[in-house]
Amino acid sequence: MKEILIRLFCAFIGSYGFSLLFGLRKRHLLLASLGGLFSFAVYLGVDALAHNAFLATLLASVFAVFYAEVLARLRKCPATLFVIPAIIPLVPGGSLYYTMSNAIRGDLPEAVTYGRQTLLAALAIAAGLSFVETLWQLAAKKEGR
Amino acid sequence: MFSIADTQSELMDCLLDMGQLLLSCGAEISRVEDTVSRMGMAYGAEQVDAFVITSIISLSMKFPGREAVTETRRIYSSSGNDFYRLEKLNDLSRRCCASPLPVSELHEKLRHIDAGRKPMSVILIGSFLGASSFALFFGGSPADALVSGIFALGICFLQKALAKTKINPVGENLLLSFVTGLAAGLLCAALPSLSMDMILIGDIMLLIPGLAITNSVRNMLVGDTISGVIRLTECLIWACALAGGFMTALLLLRIILKAV
Repeated sequence: MKEILIRLFCAFIGSYGFSLLFGLRKRHLLLASLGGLFSFAVYLGVDALAHNAFLATLLASVFAVFYAEVLARLRKCPATLFVIPAIIPLVPGGSLYYTMSNAIRGDLPEAVTYGRQTLLAALAIAAGLSFVETLWQLAAKKEGR
Repeated sequence: MFSIADTQSELMDCLLDMGQLLLSCGAEISRVEDTVSRMGMAYGAEQVDAFVITSIISLSMKFPGREAVTETRRIYSSSGNDFYRLEKLNDLSRRCCASPLPVSELHEKLRHIDAGRKPMSVILIGSFLGASSFALFFGGSPADALVSGIFALGICFLQKALAKTKINPVGENLLLSFVTGLAAGLLCAALPSLSMDMILIGDIMLLIPGLAITNSVRNMLVGDTISGVIRLTECLIWACALAGGFMTALLLLRIILKAV
């Protein structure tokens, strides 16, 4: 439990750090970094229930776009501002590193395993994002805007 | 209304500037095409064709009763994220599409947005927080996180210095990862309680093109295949450069430690 709380807290601070780095305005900072915390919470929840990292990443990124699109409507700004911070904790930085370090060490089977994980995670995030964005655009067109 | 004849070429310039700025701030390809086309239509063009990939913008506009004009702009840097300028550009294009500003004023506004870079202090704080929290996130100790954060500050300064030399991204990634790997390796050899993996993971979150890879796949899924493929290839090459830098540092370190 303590470990989960630490990871959630780190996801929040990490998203906050990256939002700063990307020059997000102060008035969006808190909500944007909360997006990182929430989407990682979705990831943890789904992963605990289904034991499937791909599905967990997919659903977490689906959540991230919904969160971002709603906030973008409320704040009248591009959704990207909230999407990117929300998916930061899902980005497979760890497995990309292990892919590289195993490849360097000469442990190819391990490198391939981590490489596969990395690509699957990138695919899951991208699929989640574009799926919801497409739906959102369709809905917006129906609304007549 | 203002006369189109005097302003057509300046408008063309403005729209290309706008597309270039949007790309450099991290806007999606489809957003750039969409924004530029809408702006053209708002200024009274009969037809606007914008084609955008990560390295070039091609824009064709036809005003009623005039010949179509086409210009292209080569884009040299389209990686990076700048939400502050992105939001400003978005506001500007919304306002212009609702009621077009005079072209000279639009030009002035764009120049103003272009000049508004983010301060170094914000970048430093952001990098420190980003690197140290992800070192913790992936299982490091507080000491690892601290070291990772401090290295991140070093990386920022190095990146700033390298930007002045106009080095290519592969060279930059090689150099950054070499220096970081060497520093982390030496420190961990001196203080064995630190975990080199965790320190490097934190710093790598800043260097690794994880977001860019995600965005490239996203481009491909929504139909901007060329841009997606270009970006994905670039990212894989950069990741190899990063790995190459680390590998060289680790090999060198092994030789040094054996000699000592």
